[in-house]
Amino acid sequence: MSDTPLLELVGATRTVQGRDLVSDVNLCLHEGEMLGIIGPNGSGKSTLLSMMAGLLPPSRGEIRLAGQPMARLRRQQIARRLAMVSQSADTGDRISVRDAVELGRTPWLGPLRPWSARDDEAVEAALLAVGMDRMAARDWSTLSGGERQRVHIARAHAQAPQILLLDEPTNHLDIHHQFAILDLVSQLPVTTVIALHDMHHALRCDRVMVMQSGRCVALGAPLDILTPALIRRIFAVDARLIAHPADGLPLFAFQRLA
Amino acid sequence: MLRMTAAALAVLVAAPMAFAGTDYPLTLTSCGHEVTFDKAPESVVSIGQSTTEILYMLGLADKVAGTALWINPVLPEFAGVDAKVQRLADNAPSFESVLAKRPGLAVAAYEWMIGPEGVVGTREMFDDAGIPSWVMPTDCVGKNNSQGMDGARTVLFDTALLYQGIGELARIFDVAERGEALIADLKAREAAAIAQAQALNLPDDLSGVFWYSSADTQIDPYVAGVNAVPGWMLSKLGVRNVVTSDEEWPTVGWETIARANPTFIVAAEMNRRRFPADDIAVKRGFLSSDPVTSQMEAVKNDRILTLEAHAMDPSIRAIYGLESLSDALAGLGLSR
Amino acid sequence: MRRGAAVRGAGWLWLAPALLAAALLFGTAVGETRIPLSTVVAVLASKTGLTAAVPDSVDASVIWHYRLSRATVAACGGASLALSGLVLQALLRNALAEPYLLGISAGASTGAVAVAVAGFGAGVISMSAGAFAGALVAFGLVAILARAARGTGVQTTGIIILAGIAGSQMFNATTALIIAQSASAEQARGIMFWLLGNLSGVRWPDIRLALPVALLGLGVALWHVRTLDAFTFGADSAAALGIDVRRARVVLIGTAALATAVVVSIAGAIGFVGLVVPHAMRFLVGVRHARLVPATALAGAVFLVLSDVVSRIVIPGQVLPIGVITALVGAPAFAVVMVRGRRR
Repeated sequence: MSDTPLLELVGATRTVQGRDLVSDVNLCLHEGEMLGIIGPNGSGKSTLLSMMAGLLPPSRGEIRLAGQPMARLRRQQIARRLAMVSQSADTGDRISVRDAVELGRTPWLGPLRPWSARDDEAVEAALLAVGMDRMAARDWSTLSGGERQRVHIARAHAQAPQILLLDEPTNHLDIHHQFAILDLVSQLPVTTVIALHDMHHALRCDRVMVMQSGRCVALGAPLDILTPALIRRIFAVDARLIAHPADGLPLFAFQRLA
Repeated sequence: MLRMTAAALAVLVAAPMAFAGTDYPLTLTSCGHEVTFDKAPESVVSIGQSTTEILYMLGLADKVAGTALWINPVLPEFAGVDAKVQRLADNAPSFESVLAKRPGLAVAAYEWMIGPEGVVGTREMFDDAGIPSWVMPTDCVGKNNSQGMDGARTVLFDTALLYQGIGELARIFDVAERGEALIADLKAREAAAIAQAQALNLPDDLSGVFWYSSADTQIDPYVAGVNAVPGWMLSKLGVRNVVTSDEEWPTVGWETIARANPTFIVAAEMNRRRFPADDIAVKRGFLSSDPVTSQMEAVKNDRILTLEAHAMDPSIRAIYGLESLSDALAGLGLSR
Repeated sequence: MRRGAAVRGAGWLWLAPALLAAALLFGTAVGETRIPLSTVVAVLASKTGLTAAVPDSVDASVIWHYRLSRATVAACGGASLALSGLVLQALLRNALAEPYLLGISAGASTGAVAVAVAGFGAGVISMSAGAFAGALVAFGLVAILARAARGTGVQTTGIIILAGIAGSQMFNATTALIIAQSASAEQARGIMFWLLGNLSGVRWPDIRLALPVALLGLGVALWHVRTLDAFTFGADSAAALGIDVRRARVVLIGTAALATAVVVSIAGAIGFVGLVVPHAMRFLVGVRHARLVPATALAGAVFLVLSDVVSRIVIPGQVLPIGVITALVGAPAFAVVMVRGRRR
């Protein structure tokens, strides 16, 4: 079993009205890794994540979850292995933080499989993991953007998945919360795929996939592939890698192309 | 309104001595609207079975250019005459179909046909088209058409309104003599019917209800209000209407009717098949099968009478209706 | 040990049968005419076999065959309509969703009018059957429209709502066309009375349809409480939580459409129940469907029974269309609950 990849994409393509949103992507997800997906707006990051989550079927190619074609799995089977935090999922319902996190147990419950102590444990653990345990009774509507994102991650955590997919979880957050979320995600003991906007965030990943026009143009360790030449080609900016004056960690310095 | 009725009646009473022809221009007020005739109209469109049959009775069939709004078949004696007249519509005709006949007069039995909210047109629309319009006084004297669906009758219906209408039509067409003859004939028939009704010598504590139809077989039925034509019939028979609403055709629940326990039920018979309960067989079937109505004394003792629907409307058939009702009641053995 | 929030605080549900029975008794005791409460109780006791049978009489029949059957059917209809609204609101993520939105009521009206005015079925088919057919046709049309419009860039929930609006408008126009073409004022009256909702034609046989459909609706909704919860953050989120969204939509919206069509065919188009009851219940018991579904079913049943009572007594000697009452009673009640809920 261990040599079967957790998630595997073979020539995965998504075509809508004759246009390829995602084109011929091949990927093997390693157990325990954190994979960043980076690319300009409209490069197909969100579509690719939705395909990985089984929400959008590929038009061509195949996606396999633990060796089984996703198309043949029931939604519940997928959700027990794979959780997704999509961009800005919101609700107008008067729902509490605990209610929202409890939703994560949905794939493990059914009309004939009622709520049990195990589910309570999973919810408590998830609340604790994101540091929302003291705010469990708060109303969703009173939460800040960062807190909502943490609750979403807690919900995904309570789902007890092997793979966690996150679509730009730091979007619209201030710098403090961006780091808090990334720290949180990197500490979770799951395999993670995270779509990102910020190249510095990508540096924290084990591997990075760079996308352009729906294609994977590079895949590998961040410092190996995020070269000034590639950044210039894909993002149309001049980038230079410099060392942080204090700790020597790599940093990007950007400049608009002349 | 009442004073106007009195004045109109005074004219009628005085009329027998004036058998002479109508003096034109003739100006009269019909349902609050003034109309003037320079001469007798050459042709007429009649919207309403009541007005149509009055025109036929006045021998004016050759002047009728079109008819509309039929409830029952035409009186048998006019079947041949009516076959030659164009029926513009079984229900309400369109304004233009009336205009297309270029009639010298448009008459209607009801204000909801020609009136303030007339579905055919308003009085002003007909004025603008140069067509005088006239509406039966039975639908506006002592009646408030802005209340309820079919209006409310504030005063008990009286055949005097019917005679007033016949008299006015006769004068408009310069056939006053025929009009008087017809009125005299009808009055004699009415008197006979009333005498027959009173001869039944019914007990004082009888009550009845008139069921017209129901929009769906089991729902609350349309029944005759206290002052409608059936109310007039009951007053002549000395019978109480269990319905107390003064609307012309109020909707009253079967619970109310059944618990009021009327001595007899009069069910309307009609050709119309708009609602299942238009059919007299459906009416009888309902009364005998419904768990509540089947417990009513009137149903248990088979005191369900049938009366043609048009006789429940303000028309000359109301007088015939009183005759048939008296005949039917005579067969029930209720007399003292 | 903690229990899932969804299960906590459901103890009050034991009160449900008592509340429902009280509402039914009230609905049976109060009617167009006055019958002493002692008579009502005596008749009910004898009919249910608690005491010796009393001979049939008008009063006994009115109590048993008119009032109790009417109250029972009203309870079933109220539960069905309220649950339909709840399910549609959860699945379409739209607070205004209710049977009217899907054009079901408009379709039912067209069906009824087609039978009553245009003479469809020539007096053999009743207006109720026409309404039922119209409601199902409307739902089918909206579903087809929504399917055809897929992939045009509008979000799926939006598509269904737009298709519902388009369907409603089309059916309303058809109704207007039929009436304009052939109706007299008297016909229009029969239809109006019916379109605003009317329970006066309800008898025991109607329970054969109303009760199974209400129980089916309640059963399906209870079976899917977690599915309904999973839609809290939208359909994609529900799918990510392991819900087969398409299957859930077909089963749940299909059941709501069927329940609405049945209620409309029995009692006419009664509005407002599907909107007001679920919202009021959200303020009282929260948004989790394990509590919301039974609470909504119970409140819908009680609400319609009480509205029917009010419709019978508000103007003596005259029965108002129940749809008028549900709107008049529902709106202020809704406002009160909303304000109180906010202050909490």
